[in-house]
Amino acid sequence: MIVGLAFYLFAAVLLAAAAMVVLSRNPVHSVLYLILAFFNAAALFLIAGAELLAMTLVIVYVGAVAVLFLFVVMMLDIDFARLREGFQRYAPIGAVVGGILFLELLLVLGTWQFASEATALRAAPIQQGGLTNTEALGRILYTDYVYLFQLAGMILLVAMIGAIVLTHRQRPGTRRQSVAEQVARSNTISLEKVPVGVGVRALSIRRPPEPELEPRQLAPDPHGQGHGGHH
Amino acid sequence: MNWTLALPELVLAIGTLLILVAGVLPKRETYFPVCMASIGALLLTAVLVLAQGEGSAFGGQYIADGFSRFMKVLALLAAAVGLLLALDFNEKERIGRFEYPVLLLLASLGMLVMISANDLLVLYMGIELLSLPLYVIAAFDRDNGRSAEAGLKYFVLGALASGLMLYGSSLVYGFAGATGFDQIAAAFNHQHGVSAGVVVGVVFVIAGLAFKVSAVPFHMWTPDVYEGAPTPVTAFFSAAPKVAALALLARVLYDPFGDLAPQWQQVIILMSLLSMVLGAFAAIGQQNIKRLMAYSSIGHVGYALMGLAVADTAGLRGLLIYMAIYVAMNLGAFAVLIAMRRQGKAVETVADLAGLGRTDPMRAAWMSIFMFSMAGIPPLAGFFGKLYVFLAAVQGGLWLLAVVGVLASVVSAYYYLRIVKVMYFDEAAGRLDDAPASLGVVMAAAGIFTLAFALWPAPLVAAAQSAAMALLGG
Amino acid sequence: MGGITEMEIGLAHYLTVGAILFVLGIFGIFLNRKNVIVILMSVELILLSVNLNFVAFSAKLQDLTGQVFALFVLTVAAAEAAIGLAIVVIYFRNRGSIEVEEISTLKG
Repeated sequence: MIVGLAFYLFAAVLLAAAAMVVLSRNPVHSVLYLILAFFNAAALFLIAGAELLAMTLVIVYVGAVAVLFLFVVMMLDIDFARLREGFQRYAPIGAVVGGILFLELLLVLGTWQFASEATALRAAPIQQGGLTNTEALGRILYTDYVYLFQLAGMILLVAMIGAIVLTHRQRPGTRRQSVAEQVARSNTISLEKVPVGVGVRALSIRRPPEPELEPRQLAPDPHGQGHGGHH
Repeated sequence: MNWTLALPELVLAIGTLLILVAGVLPKRETYFPVCMASIGALLLTAVLVLAQGEGSAFGGQYIADGFSRFMKVLALLAAAVGLLLALDFNEKERIGRFEYPVLLLLASLGMLVMISANDLLVLYMGIELLSLPLYVIAAFDRDNGRSAEAGLKYFVLGALASGLMLYGSSLVYGFAGATGFDQIAAAFNHQHGVSAGVVVGVVFVIAGLAFKVSAVPFHMWTPDVYEGAPTPVTAFFSAAPKVAALALLARVLYDPFGDLAPQWQQVIILMSLLSMVLGAFAAIGQQNIKRLMAYSSIGHVGYALMGLAVADTAGLRGLLIYMAIYVAMNLGAFAVLIAMRRQGKAVETVADLAGLGRTDPMRAAWMSIFMFSMAGIPPLAGFFGKLYVFLAAVQGGLWLLAVVGVLASVVSAYYYLRIVKVMYFDEAAGRLDDAPASLGVVMAAAGIFTLAFALWPAPLVAAAQSAAMALLGG
Repeated sequence: MGGITEMEIGLAHYLTVGAILFVLGIFGIFLNRKNVIVILMSVELILLSVNLNFVAFSAKLQDLTGQVFALFVLTVAAAEAAIGLAIVVIYFRNRGSIEVEEISTLKG
């Protein structure tokens, strides 16, 4: 009973949030609604017993993907008002088409039938007792699905290369650390043993020249507006 | 676990990683050596595919048979030539960066995975491993607004297609209780009368795949992306990924959904008809030659799908022969287009070809051969490609399809021949720059194949026959 | 354990929620013609609906394959989002806007 109520609550919030993702005027709001939708979908996953997926959805999706969206929305200087033009024009016909599509799907899914062999054909039946969801997934993910696991790695590599290739720019004039050069400079720095109690100048130890103190800075500010700037 | 069966994929994957490291580490520009190494890796993989055994691996997720061998070799050769086409162009357009060949290698790995897929999950991962690099290379000329636009359009529609396909996959999984093709086939086999839900799932899966081969009505992205992307990228798009996607479509339709043939046959027939007709008529008014080639490729996919619609060995054999010939003449034609530069600047309208017959007779001759072949003029390879699918369609009783096919190729001959006419009879538009050696090699190789196929068709036909038998089991 | 609690809800409920999400995603793609970022978010909604379907079937069938599938879909979707946003960024750099309908220099 409680599970049923929880399901309806989370499902209702999920759908409302999803609708707001699409309908919201401001893309920043859309991203925030998307995050809300992900949280509620994670709750639905939990109710269905998919614990690992629920956690992954929260950590990877909310933590990384949605935040990435937020970054991009805020980084790009978008004229929100202009983006809304034309939406109203298409909205009614879109709603009608969407409604029809939904009714058709409902009609089709409402009479869902499993294949008579479905239970026999399952590749990874859930064993009752003992294993947690995460452990059971871990056992097949790295064994039965190792091929796909490796492929997923390649896909993520593509994403990395692609994102770098498209957006990374070598700007002229940026200063960066050259590790090799630093390591290679051997004779410019030396370690010397200094006798105690002798003045530095007397030993003629090289040290960087003291910066010339600019008289303007030293002179007391006649107007008494030392550091504050404009208030 | 019989993982050694997947040796070609493993070698290509490891080779890609090594090439990536070799490209990143040196301080200087590594575009040219990385390209060469990548072509080497693709050819090595093709050799390994030829030597590959048959069977399945990874618990039935991976399958290697005669069909996969034929398609993989074709896709790998098309990818290697596609890379060769980019060699000179990218450097001249200042997009000669070593990531380009690396991304093509990763896309090729995705194609191999697709062709060998025997599970809905592998199908999805293969398609994504192919598509993601393609989105990136469509936008590879990132300072050019048109290229970025092409990448964006391709991405949005591609992501939508993946979403449709996944929704369909989830319904099929729900029906069969498994994602393996063998298990799905078994589930359909024991079923008397299929419920509407799973048919919707199958249709969604087919729609997602149809997007990848750019069959009508899922072709909207093709003209824009072909026109906006850098020309060698367009050449690549039009060849290798189509081979892989058609191979996957054929396997999905015949293997897991084989018992649903009466249902999906209607869908494929319709897509084939629409693609042929649209490809014939929409290309007529095009001035931009890349856009023209986009509609032309839609039309060619229509002819290839005709072979698929027949749903027997002859049809599948026709499809395989058609794809092999299409890839050769298409890459040859693109070699001519990529070489189109005037005073160092790339040009891409039909009018820019004017007078090529006088200024560069050799190149004009190759281009005419490719255009005649695409139009299906008898002694050339393109004629035989069409002949095999038309014969299969007639034997399979699909008269309507064959008749529309013949009519569509008559209409499309108009715009292919218009290009020949422009090259030989129009006022010269000014001399085009000389073609670099790499493009000349591709033109000559594809041209000789197109010319000589009629003399010596037996090896290709025999290979296609055995590949088709391998998939359909005799 | 997970499966037993699921039975209280029933497959049809999950499939209905999934179908509504799916339709909302499609709706979002076709309606927000001008705003690419919302289009990308709509794609995420479609993938979420797919995952919901997989999890529901997985619970009903008492089979982990569906959850593995959903896990891979999540992975790939993250990669897809990264590439999509990178393309949006370079598009914006070139055009100074992210409107899709404005994408009409390529037409014919």
